[in-house]
Amino acid sequence: MSAAGSIHPRERRLSLLVTVLAFALPVIFVLVPLAIFLVYSFFSVDQGTIVYTPTLGNYVRFFTDPIFLPVFWNTIVLCVSVAVICILLAYPAAYFLTTLKGRWRYALLMLLLVPLLMSYVIKIYAIRSILGLNGFLNKALVALGILQQPSNLFVFNMNAILLTLSLLLIPFAILPIFLSLERIPQTLLRASDDLGASGWQTFLRITLPLSLPGVASAASFVFVLAIGDFLTPQMVGGISGFTFGRILYSQFGTAYNWPFGAALSVALAIVVICAILVGERFGRNRGTSI
Amino acid sequence: MNQNTDLLTLRSVSKSYGTVPVLHDIDLSIKDGEFLTVLGPSGSGKTTVLRLIGGLEPLTAGEIRLDGQDISRMPINKRPFNTVFQDYALFPHMTVSGNVGYGLSVRHMKRKEITRRVAEALELVQLGRFADRFPAQLSGGQRQRVALARALICQPRLILLDEPLAALDLELRRQMQEFLKSIQREIKTTFLFVTHDQEEAIGMADRICVMQAGHIRQLGTPHDLYYKPNCEFVARFFGENNLVPGKLGPAQGEQRSIETALGRLVCSISDQPHLKAAPDGASAFAAFRPEALHMADATDSGNSFSGTIADLAFAGSSTVATITTGGDAAQRLRLRMPSRIDGSVLKSGETVSLCFAPHEGHLVLA
Repeated sequence: MSAAGSIHPRERRLSLLVTVLAFALPVIFVLVPLAIFLVYSFFSVDQGTIVYTPTLGNYVRFFTDPIFLPVFWNTIVLCVSVAVICILLAYPAAYFLTTLKGRWRYALLMLLLVPLLMSYVIKIYAIRSILGLNGFLNKALVALGILQQPSNLFVFNMNAILLTLSLLLIPFAILPIFLSLERIPQTLLRASDDLGASGWQTFLRITLPLSLPGVASAASFVFVLAIGDFLTPQMVGGISGFTFGRILYSQFGTAYNWPFGAALSVALAIVVICAILVGERFGRNRGTSI
Repeated sequence: MNQNTDLLTLRSVSKSYGTVPVLHDIDLSIKDGEFLTVLGPSGSGKTTVLRLIGGLEPLTAGEIRLDGQDISRMPINKRPFNTVFQDYALFPHMTVSGNVGYGLSVRHMKRKEITRRVAEALELVQLGRFADRFPAQLSGGQRQRVALARALICQPRLILLDEPLAALDLELRRQMQEFLKSIQREIKTTFLFVTHDQEEAIGMADRICVMQAGHIRQLGTPHDLYYKPNCEFVARFFGENNLVPGKLGPAQGEQRSIETALGRLVCSISDQPHLKAAPDGASAFAAFRPEALHMADATDSGNSFSGTIADLAFAGSSTVATITTGGDAAQRLRLRMPSRIDGSVLKSGETVSLCFAPHEGHLVLA
């Protein structure tokens, strides 16, 4: 960059181009597709072809048909549960990481994040074989005498989706929690000790509150990823594990009803946006960080 | 509160980080109710002393005694000391009153009692109006006072201050120095104040402990350190000084002569037995402050010699002259005198006769 007041015309044109691109790319690749979806949700389908007359029919069907709302609600509950499980498992792991010194800390963090590099489908297959009737989980439980015989409880139902999604998404919870824990200045913890707090008091009153922003982002991350997933329920959910994602998928695939699928997507998008806003609200440091 | 009893004693305390020693065999006694400043350049180990006392780090060797009891292994949260950290370390998610009350609430004190004492403490540091603010909404000086209130509300036996004024600008620093001193007098608690700024140390301390390279070089009142430094480091570090090297001559009562390039100089050795005991011919410095040096007139019978004025610098209330003295071993000296409205009586390039009185000079062994 040259000094102010002597900007070369070509440089100015370049910076204008960069500015335009910075705004145009998100508009073209994010906002326009979303808008197209929104528009499609007001159309309808007649014998396999889309009728381009505006109607609220899709939304009426979503709210009145007894199938959709319960599945919608159950899916939200499922994904909230996944988020809670992920947080409960990820927090201790992330906390443990921050207690490690130097090189070990990042080596172990990388190890925990390695699953992100693997194919999603392969991971689901792997987890399904662990949960299956002859899988590791059943064998372990029988060997430990907790079960008399292998159980069908862990695969091809809602439990299976819950367990699989939790396992798959834990890395996404560990990272933001780890970062927020790592950002807490050590002197704050020493100051708390110095003022007479026990280790547990310091954790509850300093560490935990200061790491909540990370927890909030982790929870909204996991929730959003879980609710948008249709592959996992498809592969481990069987017949009883029916989620909103699968319904959505079937509208675009089997049923070939794009307008109705678009309307369902809009409903899902509203939930996702709410989750992100809630995460953002609590993810901020309340404007009080130094 | 008795100024003459020892509150805290460090006995042969050493500290190493891995194989790197940072403190060598430190012995130090802190008196009850005093304002003790630990002064030293960076890397002298002064902050380590504070961290060891506060319990932020374990000792490598030696022991720390409080009222005669060994507390070397007492965990940090059980020690009756509180620290004011260099960067204040205020809890960002708590209000001012939450921060100040923290030490009481972790001790499960009743809420009403906490509220009352927080209000008292905030009144003491003149922050009553800011109770509901968050630290991010305060200025540097205000945060500093919150940190102080947070430390003193627990009524510790000793308050440890780790360069708390370093981040403040000059004017605010002066105000805070006076403020700290007045608070210390008011609550009569022992303060251990760590700084690298010798002006700050002179202005605030009852006693100063000068440290260098992990050793205590001298411990005494600011007056003692200024007029009776016991080594070259203290003589140079603590205030401006003129040091002229030479060989010791014989002692005569409370005075002793030294042979230097400026001729034979006579300096005071009162209350400094190690100077009386030093052998004749030992290497030493004659040391005298710039304000002790003045123009010789006919009546002066002190140490006199001639020099050439190399430079004159006006510094407000005083004027500082840089003087070169002749001879093989050229020496640069400083002379400080009160400024006059009609200009200095001295002129650059002039050769003058200079003098300092024997009782205003002191000796330092090399």
